[in-house]
Amino acid sequence: MSSTPILSEPRLFSESLFDKMKLVSSGIQELELYEFRYGLADLLPKNGWDTIQLESREQIEARVNSRAYYDSIQIKPRVGDRIVLDVEIVRLTQMLFVGLVTGEYPPEWVSTHFYFDIRGFCFLHRTTYFTERVLAHLGGQPYRRFEQKQKQLEHLQDIGYKVFREANEEVDQLFIQSVTKLIASHGTPILLAIAGATAAGKTEIVERLGAAFQQAGQKTTSIELDNFFTDRDEREARGVDSQGKEAMHLDLLMQALEDITHGRPISTPVYNFIDGSSSHDLNGRLKPGRTPIEVKPADIIFIEGNFPFLIEEILHLIGIKVVYLTDDHVRMKRKWKRDMDYRKKYDLSYFRNRYFKDQFIMAQFAYIPQLEVCDMCVDTTGAALWTTPEIAEILDQG
Amino acid sequence: MIGTSRLRSPLAFSETLFEQMSPLNAAIKKMALYEFHYALENLYPDSGWDSVELDSEEEIERMISQRDFYEAIQTKPRLKDRIVLDESIARLTRMLFVGLVRGEYSQGWINKLFYFDVRGFYFLPRTVYFTETALAHFGGKPFRCFEPRQKRFENIQDIGYLDFQEANLEIDRALIESIQKLIQVRGTPILITLAGPTAAGKTEIVERLLDTFEKMGKKTTTIEMDNFLLDRDFRDNKPMGKETTHFELFKQCLLEILNGKRITIPRYDSLSASSSHDLEGNLRPGCLPLEIEPADIIFLEGNFPFQMEEIAGLIGLKIVYLTDDPVRLKRKWKRDIDYRKNYDPAHFRNRFFKTQFQRAEDVYRPQIEKCDLVVDTTAATLWATSEITDILGSD
Repeated sequence: MSSTPILSEPRLFSESLFDKMKLVSSGIQELELYEFRYGLADLLPKNGWDTIQLESREQIEARVNSRAYYDSIQIKPRVGDRIVLDVEIVRLTQMLFVGLVTGEYPPEWVSTHFYFDIRGFCFLHRTTYFTERVLAHLGGQPYRRFEQKQKQLEHLQDIGYKVFREANEEVDQLFIQSVTKLIASHGTPILLAIAGATAAGKTEIVERLGAAFQQAGQKTTSIELDNFFTDRDEREARGVDSQGKEAMHLDLLMQALEDITHGRPISTPVYNFIDGSSSHDLNGRLKPGRTPIEVKPADIIFIEGNFPFLIEEILHLIGIKVVYLTDDHVRMKRKWKRDMDYRKKYDLSYFRNRYFKDQFIMAQFAYIPQLEVCDMCVDTTGAALWTTPEIAEILDQG
Repeated sequence: MIGTSRLRSPLAFSETLFEQMSPLNAAIKKMALYEFHYALENLYPDSGWDSVELDSEEEIERMISQRDFYEAIQTKPRLKDRIVLDESIARLTRMLFVGLVRGEYSQGWINKLFYFDVRGFYFLPRTVYFTETALAHFGGKPFRCFEPRQKRFENIQDIGYLDFQEANLEIDRALIESIQKLIQVRGTPILITLAGPTAAGKTEIVERLLDTFEKMGKKTTTIEMDNFLLDRDFRDNKPMGKETTHFELFKQCLLEILNGKRITIPRYDSLSASSSHDLEGNLRPGCLPLEIEPADIIFLEGNFPFQMEEIAGLIGLKIVYLTDDPVRLKRKWKRDIDYRKNYDPAHFRNRFFKTQFQRAEDVYRPQIEKCDLVVDTTAATLWATSEITDILGSD
């Protein structure tokens, strides 16, 4: 085979790969070859690059689009006392490297299905959020699209909030204006729910909306869905996971949302994350010695939580349902800065494994279903605001 | 008391500190307050900011100028199964934070003695490399000065090599040209050494020098000093020196290669920590020595090249390549943490804090006081002894 010398000679291999990778990831162009080699050294197969068996493109595509693949990823595999990168993640990246060098996988194909994270030094699958059904629900095209300024962040290895915010300025502004308009048309009190994946920029946009409403003289408050969890012991005994309505004081939640949308003060349960206990028993009665949270009436009530509109029973109570999306590769870079550099929260390999594993699963479980029922979607990376045709009609009036 | 309420509320504390820190470090201005707050949370004292007792400025100055302080730093202290920041490093940063918020320490005083590393989120003492003796050795002022373009790194958190190289363009060129000229005057074969702290940019500049000489048609080679080490068992943890190397062999080899001869040198295997040669300097059965071809320019590589007087006398050109601690630390974040994934980040922070002072005292200050040329990439200055200045300034 003509490519064999390259595969058996690590220095030639890294040189050739370096050139190919510049086509796949613009950030690589800012590396010196020796820096690239340092990154690559951790992935060098024990018996050399020529021992890596390549799968066909079809096989790889099938694999990275199956739930079983992500379920099998281990988040804390260990060698000695160190957590390491999961073997499947390593294998995928090694295959793509070798296939790029031999020409078996064209760079365009690699870029279509994967993105390369430089700090993690591994390939990750691009998650699809806009399925056919989501597109149909949102009228097939965005309500408005702006210049994609996040493209300017493509060469960066990690992203702080200020540059992120600057890149999203236009779409964020339109989003804030649109929500304001919808509230004016709908009237208050109104429940507003914003769903979004980790590091999409949810917390920050909620804060800016809150500030905008307060400036306009409107009262805001928020309700944490997590506070409606039932006792952990009881949930574990029943074997329910912590993400569905079975894990919640559903009646209390429905009543509370009903009341507050009618301008009445409410008191909600409190969930204690440390000992896993709710302030309320299973019959929805306050336990002796516990204090509930009192929420005063407000014009705009934010519902906080990861999956606010997965619970069908409360869907009709939510006035505006928003999904705030940012592409996986941008969110990962935000997490490098925020969770790794600033918060120093995770082990490096644990972080990479978990991020690789979770995005596909969460998209299937939470974000695609929520996109299919939402009113609006902000796609910060695509710099686009999407709405249902009904919402578009309201926004276009006057 | 001033600031009491600010000390009680963690949010108010971080807001005030954020404002106080912004003028001290340009990279902080690029952070959003909540990012700063996230990073600060790791240093939050168990009993709140108002529980932090402050030392006086004099006490702090004394502490950081003493070797004991650095020797006591643990590089891998653990809390459960995690390596954490050494307690005295954390205490120093907490004191400086609280002192800034309370107005007890001025920004000017802090900035003179410390720099703040944003990724590590801690203060480190600035290391002094140019002593009075060193300044006197170089006639009190640099030979050449350029625009200090590393200033543009002040607002970034980690530095890749391409940016570093670009910032050093002028000073590196001046160094390369000076060496070319000195070699012309002093003749070949010549032995050159280049010493410098970790991540100063040694390896890269040596590679460029070798490249330049080869393009000029000169033959070059390198000798790794470590190959002359005795077996670890015979070194008793002593630093590299006359007693821990095959000294006679070392001297002999250098003399021979300077006379244009091919040399055979010992080979040190760092895995087994053993030399190919026995204590008498004879090749052990079954071991392979290294053959080095004659060359015009011979780079002697190692950390302490001019520590041994008799060897120092054979070196035709002694160079120290310096880059300031804050910049080296940022290079290491990129190179050793992001790319090589070499260390646990807490271990890395402890180790960098601990070793710069010690290394400056043991290795770099003594070498600066004896060398021919110092390149200070951060200040973009080239320092030369009067003898070297005479040669370089002659056209």
